[in-house]
Amino acid sequence: MGVIVKRPYSEVIIGLGVALLLVLTLFAVIAGATGFTPKEDIRPLAKFYLYYAINWNERKYWAASPEAVNSMVWDYRGYDTLYETSVFFLAIIGAIAVFRIPKVKDVFTKGILSGKGLSLIVKTITKLVIAFVLIVSIAIAVHGNLTPGGGFQAGSAISIATLLAIAAFSRIFLEERKITTKLMLPIRVLGVLGIGLLALAPGLIALSGVTSFVIQNQPKPWANWGFIPGIGPFWLSGNQFFYNFCEFVAVGAGFTVIYLIFSIPELIYKKVLGK
Amino acid sequence: MTSLISQALWIYFYITLIGLIAVSVYGIVVRPNLLKKIIALSILGDTANTFIIFLGFRRGGAAVPIFPSIKPTPEELLWFKETAVDPLPQCLVITAIVINMSVTAFLIALAIQLYRLYGTLDVRKAVRLRG
Repeated sequence: MGVIVKRPYSEVIIGLGVALLLVLTLFAVIAGATGFTPKEDIRPLAKFYLYYAINWNERKYWAASPEAVNSMVWDYRGYDTLYETSVFFLAIIGAIAVFRIPKVKDVFTKGILSGKGLSLIVKTITKLVIAFVLIVSIAIAVHGNLTPGGGFQAGSAISIATLLAIAAFSRIFLEERKITTKLMLPIRVLGVLGIGLLALAPGLIALSGVTSFVIQNQPKPWANWGFIPGIGPFWLSGNQFFYNFCEFVAVGAGFTVIYLIFSIPELIYKKVLGK
Repeated sequence: MTSLISQALWIYFYITLIGLIAVSVYGIVVRPNLLKKIIALSILGDTANTFIIFLGFRRGGAAVPIFPSIKPTPEELLWFKETAVDPLPQCLVITAIVINMSVTAFLIALAIQLYRLYGTLDVRKAVRLRG
Protein backbone atom coordinates (compact mmCIF):
# COMPACT_ATOMS: atom_id res chain seq x y z
CA MET A 1 0.00 0.00 0.00
CA GLY A 2 1.24 3.47 -0.82
CA VAL A 3 0.77 6.65 1.16
CA ILE A 4 -2.94 7.35 1.59
CA VAL A 5 -4.20 10.74 2.74
CA LYS A 6 -6.57 10.24 5.68
CA ARG A 7 -9.74 12.29 5.75
CA PRO A 8 -11.36 11.36 9.07
CA TYR A 9 -13.28 14.61 9.69
CA SER A 10 -15.03 14.73 6.35
CA GLU A 11 -16.01 11.06 6.68
CA VAL A 12 -17.43 11.66 10.14
CA ILE A 13 -19.42 14.63 8.84
CA ILE A 14 -20.75 12.63 5.90
CA GLY A 15 -21.65 9.72 8.17
CA LEU A 16 -23.46 12.00 10.61
CA GLY A 17 -25.23 13.72 7.71
CA VAL A 18 -26.46 10.42 6.30
CA ALA A 19 -27.60 9.27 9.75
CA LEU A 20 -29.42 12.56 10.28
CA LEU A 21 -31.10 12.22 6.89
CA LEU A 22 -32.20 8.72 7.82
CA VAL A 23 -33.65 9.70 11.20
CA LEU A 24 -35.36 12.87 9.93
CA THR A 25 -36.91 11.13 6.94
CA LEU A 26 -38.13 8.36 9.21
CA PHE A 27 -39.72 10.88 11.55
CA ALA A 28 -41.32 12.65 8.60
CA VAL A 29 -42.70 9.38 7.25
CA ILE A 30 -44.08 8.28 10.63
CA ALA A 31 -45.62 11.73 11.05
CA GLY A 32 -47.39 11.18 7.71
CA ALA A 33 -45.39 13.36 5.32
CA THR A 34 -45.98 10.96 2.43
CA GLY A 35 -49.62 10.58 3.43
CA PHE A 36 -49.15 6.80 3.65
CA THR A 37 -48.50 6.68 -0.06
CA PRO A 38 -50.33 3.49 -1.12
CA LYS A 39 -53.78 5.00 -1.37
CA GLU A 40 -57.00 3.28 -2.33
CA ASP A 41 -57.13 5.49 -5.41
CA ILE A 42 -54.68 6.39 -8.19
CA ARG A 43 -54.10 9.53 -10.26
CA PRO A 44 -56.72 10.51 -12.86
CA LEU A 45 -54.09 10.36 -15.62
CA ALA A 46 -53.40 6.70 -14.81
CA LYS A 47 -57.12 6.01 -14.91
CA PHE A 48 -57.29 7.61 -18.35
CA TYR A 49 -54.60 5.25 -19.66
CA LEU A 50 -56.15 2.20 -18.01
CA TYR A 51 -59.62 3.02 -19.34
CA TYR A 52 -58.75 3.91 -22.92
CA ALA A 53 -55.81 1.61 -23.78
CA ILE A 54 -58.07 -1.10 -25.29
CA ASN A 55 -61.44 0.68 -25.30
CA TRP A 56 -63.25 -0.38 -28.50
CA ASN A 57 -65.98 2.25 -28.06
CA GLU A 58 -63.62 5.22 -27.77
CA ARG A 59 -61.13 4.41 -30.50
CA LYS A 60 -59.96 7.99 -30.91
CA TYR A 61 -58.05 7.61 -27.61
CA TRP A 62 -57.04 3.97 -27.76
CA ALA A 63 -53.64 2.37 -28.32
CA ALA A 64 -55.08 -1.02 -29.39
CA SER A 65 -53.09 -2.87 -26.74
CA PRO A 66 -54.48 -4.52 -23.59
CA GLU A 67 -51.15 -3.90 -21.90
CA ALA A 68 -51.30 -0.37 -20.51
CA VAL A 69 -47.56 -0.22 -19.83
CA ASN A 70 -46.57 -1.22 -23.36
CA SER A 71 -49.10 1.12 -24.95
CA MET A 72 -47.64 3.93 -22.86
CA VAL A 73 -44.05 3.02 -23.73
CA TRP A 74 -44.64 3.00 -27.48
CA ASP A 75 -47.77 5.07 -28.06
CA TYR A 76 -48.87 7.60 -25.44
CA ARG A 77 -45.35 8.52 -24.34
CA GLY A 78 -43.44 7.30 -27.37
CA TYR A 79 -41.04 10.25 -27.65
CA ASP A 80 -39.76 9.49 -24.17
CA THR A 81 -38.88 5.95 -25.23
CA LEU A 82 -37.24 7.09 -28.46
CA TYR A 83 -34.86 9.36 -26.56
CA GLU A 84 -34.17 6.67 -23.97
CA THR A 85 -33.30 4.30 -26.80
CA SER A 86 -30.81 6.84 -28.13
CA VAL A 87 -29.29 7.23 -24.64
CA PHE A 88 -28.90 3.45 -24.50
CA PHE A 89 -27.34 3.45 -27.97
CA LEU A 90 -24.80 6.11 -26.97
CA ALA A 91 -23.89 4.47 -23.65
CA ILE A 92 -23.00 1.23 -25.47
CA ILE A 93 -20.99 3.22 -28.03
CA GLY A 94 -19.12 4.86 -25.13
CA ALA A 95 -18.18 1.50 -23.62
CA ILE A 96 -17.03 0.19 -27.02
CA ALA A 97 -14.96 3.33 -27.63
CA VAL A 98 -13.20 2.95 -24.27
CA PHE A 99 -12.28 -0.66 -25.10
CA ARG A 100 -11.14 0.01 -28.66
CA ILE A 101 -8.18 -2.13 -29.70
CA PRO A 102 -6.15 -0.55 -32.50
CA LYS A 103 -5.28 -2.69 -35.55
CA VAL A 104 -7.43 -5.60 -34.31
CA LYS A 105 -10.78 -5.82 -36.10
CA ASP A 106 -12.14 -8.72 -34.04
CA VAL A 107 -10.55 -10.69 -31.25
CA PHE A 108 -10.38 -14.49 -31.37
CA THR A 109 -9.33 -16.30 -28.22
CA LYS A 110 -9.03 -19.81 -29.60
CA GLY A 111 -5.34 -20.20 -28.87
CA ILE A 112 -5.47 -18.53 -25.47
CA LEU A 113 -8.60 -19.95 -23.90
CA SER A 114 -8.88 -23.43 -25.50
CA GLY A 115 -9.57 -26.16 -22.97
CA LYS A 116 -10.92 -23.67 -20.43
CA GLY A 117 -14.40 -23.71 -18.98
CA LEU A 118 -16.34 -25.27 -16.13
CA SER A 119 -17.08 -28.99 -15.62
CA LEU A 120 -19.22 -31.15 -17.92
CA ILE A 121 -22.23 -31.06 -15.57
CA VAL A 122 -22.28 -27.27 -15.52
CA LYS A 123 -21.82 -27.10 -19.29
CA THR A 124 -24.70 -29.49 -20.03
CA ILE A 125 -27.09 -27.73 -17.67
CA THR A 126 -26.03 -24.35 -19.02
CA LYS A 127 -26.84 -25.50 -22.55
CA LEU A 128 -30.37 -26.41 -21.45
CA VAL A 129 -30.81 -23.15 -19.55
CA ILE A 130 -29.55 -21.14 -22.53
CA ALA A 131 -32.14 -22.83 -24.77
CA PHE A 132 -34.88 -21.95 -22.26
CA VAL A 133 -33.65 -18.36 -21.95
CA LEU A 134 -33.70 -17.93 -25.74
CA ILE A 135 -37.25 -19.30 -26.06
CA VAL A 136 -38.58 -17.28 -23.12
CA SER A 137 -37.01 -14.03 -24.27
CA ILE A 138 -38.37 -14.38 -27.79
CA ALA A 139 -41.80 -15.10 -26.29
CA ILE A 140 -41.51 -12.00 -24.08
CA ALA A 141 -40.64 -9.92 -27.14
CA VAL A 142 -43.38 -11.08 -29.50
CA HIS A 143 -46.10 -11.17 -26.81
CA GLY A 144 -45.00 -7.83 -25.40
CA ASN A 145 -48.13 -6.04 -26.58
CA LEU A 146 -50.48 -8.64 -25.02
CA THR A 147 -48.86 -9.95 -21.84
CA PRO A 148 -46.32 -8.54 -19.36
CA GLY A 149 -43.13 -7.88 -21.25
CA GLY A 150 -41.79 -5.95 -24.20
CA GLY A 151 -38.65 -5.14 -26.08
CA PHE A 152 -36.53 -3.85 -23.21
CA GLN A 153 -37.33 -6.79 -20.95
CA ALA A 154 -36.78 -9.39 -23.67
CA GLY A 155 -33.48 -7.80 -24.73
CA SER A 156 -32.20 -7.84 -21.16
CA ALA A 157 -33.32 -11.45 -20.79
CA ILE A 158 -31.59 -12.68 -23.94
CA SER A 159 -28.34 -10.98 -22.98
CA ILE A 160 -28.29 -13.30 -19.93
CA ALA A 161 -27.85 -16.22 -22.35
CA THR A 162 -24.60 -14.63 -23.58
CA LEU A 163 -23.45 -14.07 -20.02
CA LEU A 164 -24.17 -17.69 -19.06
CA ALA A 165 -22.32 -18.97 -22.12
CA ILE A 166 -19.26 -16.85 -21.30
CA ALA A 167 -19.29 -17.94 -17.66
CA ALA A 168 -19.65 -21.68 -18.32
CA PHE A 169 -17.85 -22.20 -21.64
CA SER A 170 -15.57 -19.15 -22.06
CA ARG A 171 -15.62 -16.91 -25.10
CA ILE A 172 -14.79 -19.70 -27.59
CA PHE A 173 -18.34 -21.09 -27.36
CA LEU A 174 -19.68 -17.86 -28.87
CA GLU A 175 -16.84 -17.47 -31.38
CA GLU A 176 -17.52 -20.96 -32.78
CA ARG A 177 -21.15 -19.96 -33.33
CA LYS A 178 -20.06 -16.80 -35.18
CA ILE A 179 -21.40 -14.54 -32.43
CA THR A 180 -18.76 -11.83 -32.61
CA THR A 181 -18.76 -8.09 -32.09
CA LYS A 182 -18.36 -7.71 -35.85
CA LEU A 183 -21.75 -9.42 -36.35
CA MET A 184 -23.63 -8.02 -33.38
CA LEU A 185 -22.78 -4.34 -33.97
CA PRO A 186 -24.58 -4.13 -37.37
CA ILE A 187 -27.53 -6.12 -35.94
CA ARG A 188 -27.83 -3.58 -33.13
CA VAL A 189 -27.71 -0.69 -35.59
CA LEU A 190 -30.41 -2.43 -37.66
CA GLY A 191 -32.63 -2.67 -34.60
CA VAL A 192 -32.23 1.01 -33.75
CA LEU A 193 -32.74 1.95 -37.42
CA GLY A 194 -35.96 -0.09 -37.42
CA ILE A 195 -37.23 1.89 -34.44
CA GLY A 196 -36.30 5.16 -36.12
CA LEU A 197 -38.00 4.21 -39.39
CA LEU A 198 -41.15 3.03 -37.58
CA ALA A 199 -41.28 6.35 -35.75
CA LEU A 200 -40.70 8.40 -38.90
CA ALA A 201 -42.92 6.33 -41.23
CA PRO A 202 -46.21 8.17 -40.49
CA GLY A 203 -44.40 11.48 -40.95
CA LEU A 204 -43.06 10.37 -44.33
CA ILE A 205 -46.49 9.10 -45.37
CA ALA A 206 -47.87 12.54 -44.49
CA LEU A 207 -45.85 13.92 -47.45
CA SER A 208 -48.22 12.08 -49.80
CA GLY A 209 -51.14 14.19 -48.60
CA VAL A 210 -52.60 12.11 -45.74
CA THR A 211 -52.73 13.75 -42.31
CA SER A 212 -50.55 11.87 -39.85
CA PHE A 213 -47.88 12.72 -37.30
CA VAL A 214 -44.52 11.28 -36.33
CA ILE A 215 -44.71 8.20 -34.04
CA GLN A 216 -48.45 7.84 -34.72
CA ASN A 217 -49.94 4.43 -34.02
CA GLN A 218 -53.74 4.44 -34.35
CA PRO A 219 -55.96 6.80 -36.39
CA LYS A 220 -57.09 9.95 -34.58
CA PRO A 221 -59.94 12.34 -35.48
CA TRP A 222 -57.37 14.94 -36.56
CA ALA A 223 -55.05 12.46 -38.34
CA ASN A 224 -56.81 9.77 -40.31
CA TRP A 225 -53.87 7.54 -41.13
CA GLY A 226 -52.86 4.72 -38.77
CA PHE A 227 -51.39 1.24 -38.49
CA ILE A 228 -53.82 -1.69 -38.64
CA PRO A 229 -54.32 -3.11 -35.15
CA GLY A 230 -54.19 -6.77 -36.18
CA ILE A 231 -53.94 -9.16 -39.14
CA GLY A 232 -56.31 -12.13 -38.86
CA PRO A 233 -55.63 -14.01 -35.62
CA PHE A 234 -52.42 -12.05 -34.95
CA TRP A 235 -52.98 -9.02 -32.77
CA LEU A 236 -50.15 -6.58 -33.51
CA SER A 237 -51.45 -3.49 -31.66
CA GLY A 238 -50.55 -1.32 -34.67
CA ASN A 239 -46.82 -0.74 -34.67
CA GLN A 240 -46.19 -1.86 -31.07
CA PHE A 241 -45.34 -5.44 -32.07
CA PHE A 242 -42.67 -4.18 -34.50
CA TYR A 243 -41.33 -1.64 -32.02
CA ASN A 244 -40.99 -4.39 -29.42
CA PHE A 245 -39.18 -6.66 -31.83
CA CYS A 246 -36.75 -3.94 -32.96
CA GLU A 247 -36.06 -2.91 -29.37
CA PHE A 248 -35.49 -6.57 -28.49
CA VAL A 249 -32.91 -6.86 -31.27
CA ALA A 250 -31.23 -3.56 -30.34
CA VAL A 251 -31.01 -4.20 -26.59
CA GLY A 252 -30.08 -7.88 -26.91
CA ALA A 253 -27.34 -7.26 -29.48
CA GLY A 254 -26.08 -4.21 -27.56
CA PHE A 255 -25.60 -6.09 -24.31
CA THR A 256 -24.11 -9.06 -26.19
CA VAL A 257 -21.48 -6.71 -27.64
CA ILE A 258 -20.73 -5.34 -24.17
CA TYR A 259 -20.32 -8.80 -22.63
CA LEU A 260 -18.16 -9.97 -25.55
CA ILE A 261 -15.88 -6.98 -25.09
CA PHE A 262 -15.72 -7.47 -21.33
CA SER A 263 -14.71 -11.11 -21.80
CA ILE A 264 -11.62 -10.39 -23.92
CA PRO A 265 -8.71 -11.91 -21.96
CA GLU A 266 -6.25 -9.61 -20.29
CA LEU A 267 -3.38 -11.21 -22.25
CA ILE A 268 -4.57 -9.62 -25.48
CA TYR A 269 -4.69 -6.18 -23.90
CA LYS A 270 -1.23 -6.66 -22.46
CA LYS A 271 0.02 -7.54 -25.93
CA VAL A 272 -1.67 -4.52 -27.53
CA LEU A 273 -0.82 -2.00 -24.84
CA GLY A 274 2.73 -3.31 -24.64
CA LYS A 275 2.76 -3.81 -20.89
CA MET B 1 -55.04 -5.42 14.49
CA THR B 2 -54.65 -6.22 10.80
CA SER B 3 -54.41 -2.54 9.93
CA LEU B 4 -51.79 -2.08 12.66
CA ILE B 5 -49.71 -4.94 11.24
CA SER B 6 -50.02 -3.61 7.69
CA GLN B 7 -49.07 -0.13 8.88
CA ALA B 8 -46.02 -1.56 10.66
CA LEU B 9 -45.09 -3.42 7.47
CA TRP B 10 -45.36 -0.22 5.43
CA ILE B 11 -43.12 1.59 7.89
CA TYR B 12 -40.67 -1.32 7.66
CA PHE B 13 -40.77 -0.91 3.86
CA TYR B 14 -40.00 2.82 4.19
CA ILE B 15 -37.14 2.10 6.58
CA THR B 16 -35.71 -0.43 4.12
CA LEU B 17 -35.84 2.06 1.25
CA ILE B 18 -34.30 4.88 3.27
CA GLY B 19 -31.65 2.54 4.64
CA LEU B 20 -30.74 1.41 1.13
CA ILE B 21 -30.46 5.04 0.00
CA ALA B 22 -28.25 5.79 3.03
CA VAL B 23 -26.01 2.79 2.32
CA SER B 24 -25.65 3.71 -1.35
CA VAL B 25 -24.93 7.40 -0.63
CA TYR B 26 -22.31 6.30 1.90
CA GLY B 27 -20.79 3.97 -0.69
CA ILE B 28 -20.68 6.61 -3.42
CA VAL B 29 -19.28 9.38 -1.24
CA VAL B 30 -16.98 7.64 1.22
CA ARG B 31 -15.66 4.39 -0.24
CA PRO B 32 -12.46 5.05 -2.21
CA ASN B 33 -12.70 1.96 -4.41
CA LEU B 34 -14.22 2.76 -7.79
CA LEU B 35 -15.86 -0.67 -8.12
CA LYS B 36 -17.62 -0.21 -4.78
CA LYS B 37 -18.77 3.22 -5.90
CA ILE B 38 -20.31 1.64 -9.01
CA ILE B 39 -22.04 -1.07 -6.92
CA ALA B 40 -23.42 1.62 -4.60
CA LEU B 41 -24.59 3.64 -7.59
CA SER B 42 -26.52 0.69 -8.99
CA ILE B 43 -28.08 0.07 -5.55
CA LEU B 44 -29.15 3.73 -5.51
CA GLY B 45 -30.69 3.39 -8.97
CA ASP B 46 -32.59 0.24 -8.03
CA THR B 47 -33.86 1.83 -4.83
CA ALA B 48 -35.09 4.86 -6.74
CA ASN B 49 -36.84 2.57 -9.24
CA THR B 50 -38.49 0.60 -6.42
CA PHE B 51 -39.68 3.83 -4.86
CA ILE B 52 -41.12 5.10 -8.17
CA ILE B 53 -43.01 1.82 -8.71
CA PHE B 54 -44.23 1.95 -5.11
CA LEU B 55 -45.70 5.44 -5.67
CA GLY B 56 -48.06 3.91 -8.22
CA PHE B 57 -49.18 1.12 -5.93
CA ARG B 58 -52.77 0.92 -4.79
CA ARG B 59 -54.04 -0.55 -1.55
CA GLY B 60 -56.78 -3.16 -1.64
CA GLY B 61 -57.25 -5.56 -4.56
CA ALA B 62 -54.44 -4.21 -6.70
CA ALA B 63 -54.22 -5.83 -10.16
CA VAL B 64 -51.55 -5.69 -12.85
CA PRO B 65 -52.21 -2.92 -15.42
CA ILE B 66 -52.70 -5.47 -18.20
CA PHE B 67 -56.16 -6.45 -19.32
CA PRO B 68 -56.41 -10.24 -19.84
CA SER B 69 -58.31 -10.10 -23.16
CA ILE B 70 -58.34 -7.88 -26.25
CA LYS B 71 -62.13 -7.47 -26.42
CA PRO B 72 -63.20 -6.06 -23.04
CA THR B 73 -66.75 -4.89 -22.35
CA PRO B 74 -67.23 -1.32 -20.98
CA GLU B 75 -68.20 -2.73 -17.55
CA GLU B 76 -65.00 -4.77 -17.40
CA LEU B 77 -63.01 -1.67 -18.31
CA LEU B 78 -64.62 0.31 -15.49
CA TRP B 79 -63.72 -2.48 -13.07
CA PHE B 80 -60.19 -2.55 -14.52
CA LYS B 81 -59.86 1.22 -14.04
CA GLU B 82 -60.88 0.91 -10.39
CA THR B 83 -58.59 -2.01 -9.44
CA ALA B 84 -55.39 -1.88 -11.51
CA VAL B 85 -52.23 -0.18 -10.24
CA ASP B 86 -50.79 2.94 -11.87
CA PRO B 87 -49.01 1.91 -15.12
CA LEU B 88 -47.18 5.24 -15.55
CA PRO B 89 -44.34 4.61 -13.02
CA GLN B 90 -43.83 1.14 -14.46
CA CYS B 91 -43.48 2.63 -17.95
CA LEU B 92 -40.85 5.10 -16.69
CA VAL B 93 -38.98 2.44 -14.73
CA ILE B 94 -38.64 -0.20 -17.44
CA THR B 95 -36.69 2.19 -19.64
CA ALA B 96 -34.75 3.47 -16.61
CA ILE B 97 -33.62 -0.06 -15.71
CA VAL B 98 -32.13 -0.69 -19.14
CA ILE B 99 -30.46 2.74 -19.25
CA ASN B 100 -29.09 2.11 -15.76
CA MET B 101 -27.70 -1.23 -16.92
CA SER B 102 -25.98 0.28 -19.98
CA VAL B 103 -24.58 3.23 -18.02
CA THR B 104 -23.24 0.80 -15.40
CA ALA B 105 -21.60 -1.17 -18.21
CA PHE B 106 -19.99 2.05 -19.46
CA LEU B 107 -18.72 2.91 -15.96
CA ILE B 108 -17.31 -0.59 -15.52
CA ALA B 109 -15.53 -0.24 -18.87
CA LEU B 110 -13.96 3.00 -17.64
CA ALA B 111 -12.95 1.38 -14.35
CA ILE B 112 -11.36 -1.64 -16.06
CA GLN B 113 -9.43 0.66 -18.39
CA LEU B 114 -8.27 2.77 -15.41
CA TYR B 115 -7.02 -0.37 -13.69
CA ARG B 116 -5.27 -1.56 -16.83
CA LEU B 117 -3.45 1.70 -17.40
CA TYR B 118 -2.63 2.75 -13.83
CA GLY B 119 -2.91 -0.46 -11.81
CA THR B 120 -5.29 0.96 -9.22
CA LEU B 121 -9.01 1.42 -8.61
CA ASP B 122 -8.44 3.70 -5.62
CA VAL B 123 -9.64 7.19 -6.53
CA ARG B 124 -7.29 8.77 -3.96
CA LYS B 125 -4.31 7.32 -5.81
CA ALA B 126 -5.75 7.77 -9.29
CA VAL B 127 -6.20 11.54 -8.93
CA ARG B 128 -2.51 11.98 -8.14
CA LEU B 129 -1.39 10.15 -11.29
CA ARG B 130 -0.23 12.11 -14.30
CA GLY B 131 -0.37 10.66 -17.77
